[in-house]
Amino acid sequence: MSALNLKGVGHAYLGRTVLDGIDLTISRGEIMALVGPSGCGKSTLAHIAADLVEANAGQIARGYRRHGMIFQEPSLLPWATAEGNIAFSLKLAGVPRRQRAARIAETAERVALLPEDLRKFPVELSGGMKQRVAIARALAVQPDFIYFDEPFTALDVALRRRMQDLVIDTCAGGQLSGLFITHDLQEAARLADRIAVLDSHGRGVLGIRPFPSAPAERTDTTNFEWVQSTLGNDPLFRHIHDVDERQIT
Amino acid sequence: MTTRRHVSLPERLADRIGRVLEFLWSGWAGIAAMCLLAAVWQAGHEAYGSFILTSPVETLQAAGALSADPRAWIIAFTTLQRAVTGFALAALLGGGLGIVAGYSPATMRLASPLVTVILGVPPIAWIVLAMIWFGGSDATVRTVILIAALPVVFLGAARGILTRDRGLDRMAQAFGAGPLRRFVSVGLRQTTTTLFPGLALALGTSFKVAVMAELLANAGGIGGALADARTNLDIADALAWVIVSVALLIAVEYTLIYPVKGELDRWRRAAQPWGIKR
Repeated sequence: MSALNLKGVGHAYLGRTVLDGIDLTISRGEIMALVGPSGCGKSTLAHIAADLVEANAGQIARGYRRHGMIFQEPSLLPWATAEGNIAFSLKLAGVPRRQRAARIAETAERVALLPEDLRKFPVELSGGMKQRVAIARALAVQPDFIYFDEPFTALDVALRRRMQDLVIDTCAGGQLSGLFITHDLQEAARLADRIAVLDSHGRGVLGIRPFPSAPAERTDTTNFEWVQSTLGNDPLFRHIHDVDERQIT
Repeated sequence: MTTRRHVSLPERLADRIGRVLEFLWSGWAGIAAMCLLAAVWQAGHEAYGSFILTSPVETLQAAGALSADPRAWIIAFTTLQRAVTGFALAALLGGGLGIVAGYSPATMRLASPLVTVILGVPPIAWIVLAMIWFGGSDATVRTVILIAALPVVFLGAARGILTRDRGLDRMAQAFGAGPLRRFVSVGLRQTTTTLFPGLALALGTSFKVAVMAELLANAGGIGGALADARTNLDIADALAWVIVSVALLIAVEYTLIYPVKGELDRWRRAAQPWGIKR
């Protein structure tokens, strides 16, 4: 069974159709990047898949045990320390209190958070550190599927690259599957196993392209060349940089 | 929802003691303000004489005499229990309704004009009505406090829910929190930003309205004592009772509202640079 299978998914806001006839299958151990122009419904699709929004039509089969989610905004509880924020997801996942400290320490180490960082409130952390805590919060519950909803869009280039490395390291080995929403082809080329392109108006997935090698094996040069050749030659990606401000709500 | 397993007990104690000492040290500013008020008061006394305005020292002596009188303690306690119970009713009812209205736009639309009407009716009119309904009893005072203090608590709670960060709701939902869990762990906590100023205002209103209702409804308490002082033209006694009333308000505010607020707002202090914590 696949990790996630969407069949004929559709959604409308106040009578306006934003998604229609979406079919998408993500295999176990696979990171699928979903790209498309701004406002085409990528985030809505991720929210539907993660059961945050109810779809108007279609079927969703979740073959994973537990999911985590990383948002564009870190969405940390401002009144809780970094440790408290990581503990929040553990509490919701029903992890017994006595096991939480060990789980927090283990996850913090994975994302290079120091013990002194864990005592800080979000307001004392930089944007990159906040996103690191958000990643730790998602990883702490030991998910086998992660939804990435444009998580690094608000970060500067150097920080974004470091966070992408963190995702590559975390997902290496194929224990994790995920849906990575982005509008940045370079980011998709770094992180994903396959890349799906959503129609500009959310009317289905236009097509899916596999990458020739695993993310950890790709270099900046191969990624750059792939993006250049794709944008220049592959008609599937012709409209992904189109922007219609009126459509973005 | 703050876990502090990496912080040892001595560190936590030191942190707590540090915050208490910092809070006490900030009292100097309050004492300085009181001294300034006393200076202006003394100037007024020297200009108009004791018959119009007794001096601060005379007033404090009158307050000292009251503190030695067991009957005065009973009078002060009567007003205190009326103000606090009235405030508790307003906090529970106003807070509850405000939270419901914050989540339900239809309730908010219905409640907003009612709040405007309640705010527009002068408290004196409610006192007259309450006197007719309940006579000179505790119920009269509590009813007037409830009506006067409820709108600010209602608006504080409703505003807190309306202006909450919905991203946090979505995050909690993504990690499996149901509606009740989201309300308890995310929504309720966010109301404190606007609810606490509303509660502090409501508490002050409760004491003011309690004394006013007691005076007009002849219901005893500090209001009744003020009415007696007026009859006897005893300015020192009247001002002493005003001091008692304000002292009770300050005592309740600093033992009830501020400790809870200080505990909930520790994260805000972390954002302030050293030296301007208060």
